[in-house]
Amino acid sequence: MTLNIPVIRLLVAKDWQLFQKQLAVLVLAGIVALCFLGLAKPWAFYVGSLMLLIVLVSAACFSISTSLMNERKEHTLAFVMSLPVSPADFTVSKLIGNLLTFGVPFTVLLGGALAVVVLTPLPDGLLVYSLLIFAYILFAYAVSLAAVMSVTSEGWATFAMVGTMVMINPYIMGLAQIPDINDGTRVDAVVWTTPAVAILSTLVLLSVAIIGGATAYHARKPAFY
Amino acid sequence: MTPAFRLSGIAKRYPHFALEDISLELPEGQVMGLVGVNGAGKTTLLRLLNGLAAPDAGEVRVLGHVLPGAQVAAKRDIGFASEDMRLYRGRSLRWHMDLMQGIYAGWDAGYATELVRRFDLTPEQAVGGYSHGQRVKALLLLCLARRPRLLLFDEPTTGLDPVARIEVLEALADVLRDERRSVLFSSHNTHDVEQLADSITFLHRGRLVASADKHAFMDSWRRVVCQGALPAGLDDWPEIASARANGSLVEIKARAWDDGLPARLAAQGLQVQRSDPMALEDIFITAVRSGGVA
Repeated sequence: MTLNIPVIRLLVAKDWQLFQKQLAVLVLAGIVALCFLGLAKPWAFYVGSLMLLIVLVSAACFSISTSLMNERKEHTLAFVMSLPVSPADFTVSKLIGNLLTFGVPFTVLLGGALAVVVLTPLPDGLLVYSLLIFAYILFAYAVSLAAVMSVTSEGWATFAMVGTMVMINPYIMGLAQIPDINDGTRVDAVVWTTPAVAILSTLVLLSVAIIGGATAYHARKPAFY
Repeated sequence: MTPAFRLSGIAKRYPHFALEDISLELPEGQVMGLVGVNGAGKTTLLRLLNGLAAPDAGEVRVLGHVLPGAQVAAKRDIGFASEDMRLYRGRSLRWHMDLMQGIYAGWDAGYATELVRRFDLTPEQAVGGYSHGQRVKALLLLCLARRPRLLLFDEPTTGLDPVARIEVLEALADVLRDERRSVLFSSHNTHDVEQLADSITFLHRGRLVASADKHAFMDSWRRVVCQGALPAGLDDWPEIASARANGSLVEIKARAWDDGLPARLAAQGLQVQRSDPMALEDIFITAVRSGGVA
């Protein structure tokens, strides 16, 4: 499979340009959320963590909808497909574009959240918990991206995004039911327990497998229709 | 000489529609008009020619490349615009032109500037603020300025006001001065096809019902007015597309006119009063109503 790298690069740059305003707003909102967290007060922690979750979910949904759903809805997809690209070029450009537009705010906010946990009076045990939350967001994003790449129905695509993202609520409740994880959030030390490592590695591996599988499937298509 | 494209025994099947047994060729430098009602298969045919769809049977060869496998190489020399294609609303025409310039080595910036002026477009304005006519012209500009060897247009003049339509047709006519450039365009507007095309291809219900040189094709159709009573079974003659009586006058639309037809009609008691050439629109409507063309 030979990829048309110069055109893929241009298409990724195009997606980046189309998303950069929302990206700036989301990163800014994320930084505000981290500031609240950094105050290390119960009310500020609640506001900050809620805001951070909203920002992360928004970044995931905006990234996918801007580059994939909107292109279908606004018929710009036909324009892109008329360019000298194969389905493999198109899939790879969408994958890289999405990983960039979601990956940048995700990485910035993950780094910021970990720094806030370590550098402020918040218990250091929250570091593992934060990683578990971010890992779920990554997993939900991977499922949503794969679903939106695979279905043409806007309804099903929206269902996949909303469905996976709202499942973070029972996931958080589930984490609270695991003493090895829940107890660790109150201590001022990073404690890696078996359940935490298992959940974290499962979510990360699943995310990689889902995105990799969806990309391989779509990249092998001989034609767009 | 390599043809602009050659379709050999093409089939493409969807759950509720099938394009079947299409064999068609466009010589280099020719303009082909593709005519058919909604759902005839024009868009599917254009998608096959652009490598966007893979045929279920047969071979699609465009500019010497077999599609969809070699679609990247072929699309470097194809300009494709369809009626349902849109540009990025929040971005300007200039942004789109810069994108095209980065992708196509043959992008002609001077020609693009000339088209901006001719189409009276504002390149710095966001495309979302353009009228429908301006959007179509912007799309055409992006296709034409890359100087492709083959242009594929799906309903390029649909929804345009008369002034915009003429501007688009004039720009296309300019393009056609280049003898190496080939064009296939589908249109509901048979006047456009009549004006621009060298050859005409009719699609109906997923089948190719005629493809011929425009003049030869139009010469083969005649509206014949006869005096007499409409004989039974005239509709079954292969050269007759339709026949209807109005009092003592009988109007016949012949799909394969020849000089011997008046004598054969006379043998049935019909005296030919006159025979007139038909406009493409009339041919199109008659052909669709009679269920075939040739």
